[in-house]
Amino acid sequence: MTTLAWPLRNTRRRGLSYAAWVAPQRVRDRVLVLLGLLGAWHLVSLFAAPWIPSPRATARRFVTFVATGDLWHHTSYTLTEAIFGFLLGGVPAVWLPFVLRRQATLRRILDPFLAAFYGIPKVALAPIFILWFGIGLVSKFVLVASIVFFVVFSHASAGLDRVSQNLVRTAQVFGASEQWIAREIVWPSAVPYIFTGLRVAVPQSLGGAVVGEMISSTRGLGYAIEGAAADFDPAGFFVALLILVAIVAAVNSVFDVAERRLFAWRPSDLTSRTLRSEV
Amino acid sequence: MGLAQHSPLLEVVDLGKRFEERAGRGGALPVIAGMSFVVHEGEFVTLLGPSGSGKSTLLNIIAQIDGLTEGTIRFRGEQILGKDTSKLDPGWRCQIGYVTQSDNLLPWRRLQENLLLPLHAQGRTGPTALERVSELIEMMGLCGFERYYPHELSGGMRKRASLARTLVYDPPVILMDEPFGALDALTRAQLHDDLLRLWSSKRKTILFVTHDVAEAIALGDRLLVLSRLPARVVAEHVVDLPRPRRAGDLLTQPGFAQLYARIHESLG
Repeated sequence: MTTLAWPLRNTRRRGLSYAAWVAPQRVRDRVLVLLGLLGAWHLVSLFAAPWIPSPRATARRFVTFVATGDLWHHTSYTLTEAIFGFLLGGVPAVWLPFVLRRQATLRRILDPFLAAFYGIPKVALAPIFILWFGIGLVSKFVLVASIVFFVVFSHASAGLDRVSQNLVRTAQVFGASEQWIAREIVWPSAVPYIFTGLRVAVPQSLGGAVVGEMISSTRGLGYAIEGAAADFDPAGFFVALLILVAIVAAVNSVFDVAERRLFAWRPSDLTSRTLRSEV
Repeated sequence: MGLAQHSPLLEVVDLGKRFEERAGRGGALPVIAGMSFVVHEGEFVTLLGPSGSGKSTLLNIIAQIDGLTEGTIRFRGEQILGKDTSKLDPGWRCQIGYVTQSDNLLPWRRLQENLLLPLHAQGRTGPTALERVSELIEMMGLCGFERYYPHELSGGMRKRASLARTLVYDPPVILMDEPFGALDALTRAQLHDDLLRLWSSKRKTILFVTHDVAEAIALGDRLLVLSRLPARVVAEHVVDLPRPRRAGDLLTQPGFAQLYARIHESLG
């Protein structure tokens, strides 16, 4: 296999920057919606304090949360669980469908079992994982991985099922080998679906980590949420929740940018958001 | 011409094809039965038949995407496909190119990359590969679109690209399955002219399937008329209109109207 072989590898057009494709009006509109939400929140808090803390009280709580070092202490723990669990579940979930693709019989045998496991609400497994792997990081890795695996696996499998047989046949006619077809046709057709799966799995991985912590942990945002509720600290509760929201939003924009770069070849009305409803 | 001394380039002998029985569909469906014809080196043969007359099935068999149930296919006198063929070799050693109804360009590859794909798959990516591609892009009038993705090109351009992708690896025989079916009349006429120009400069052998009588006359040296299912060759017409032909001049050619009428009659 020659490596020079593909002279056009590096010709990918650089994707548009985030700023360039989010139109300025849209940014302005989003800021307005954000201000509206804050205003509504403030109004509600006037009548519902202390059950619902005001935005200002929440902001003050956030500052102390940062100052005491609690923010990083808890957030880093939760992020570690989510990231490692994500990799632990995501990598085999991408790899396995490619193996099973060539093993039709094995796949048919395994299908009902995978469907059954997919159906289990993974959060319900948290107590047993904690029992098996302790209250530390490992039980959360396993919990997050079990959530991420099935989400990504089902998307990746769907992507592989949808590889166009016309494209495959065309390539066979011009003399392409199995491996060539896998690399140049099967993989690129599946990538958008895998990408969608990963995208859907991100908030679920954070959710899994938090629920695991709420059940049993000594650290993490879930632990902080649980603690805030027990100590009657609604502002602390809101701070932890908003941090989770911010993380999800940040990861989502990373996905948006990556998507623009990876999928410049697609008509613009086909994004992972529209694919999601297809799967 | 001396064609008689050579064996024909492509021979279809007593070809038969039945689709397997399947529950709820009744018995095995014969699609092609007792079909025989030959195609000589450098010839442009058009196959004309009503839709659903097994034309695509026939090309799929010759391209070895699909097997046959009766008969043999020979290439330069050598049997390349028979009832006992155990493993299909699509495109038979890159000797048989196939331009299908849809362009089948890879949507994630730019135009230029799409044209390079066959050479890449065949491990023929020497320094001349890009030159070959550029030459074809030039011939096809696709200059300036090298870095466009397929969805950014017009239907006619995608057709040109899909034809160029087959020409790039130089198979001696090219099968074409209603390649211009979905195009508007003007684009189609332009592509006819381009195809004839390429055919005469590259001396390819082309087997072109269509259900359009005028298209079959415009392009072919010889025209084979297929019956309804099960398909076989029911008539053969030699198209003796002078070359080079231009799509625009076709209707005013002496002899066109009579030929058209004769062919129409044999279509039944």
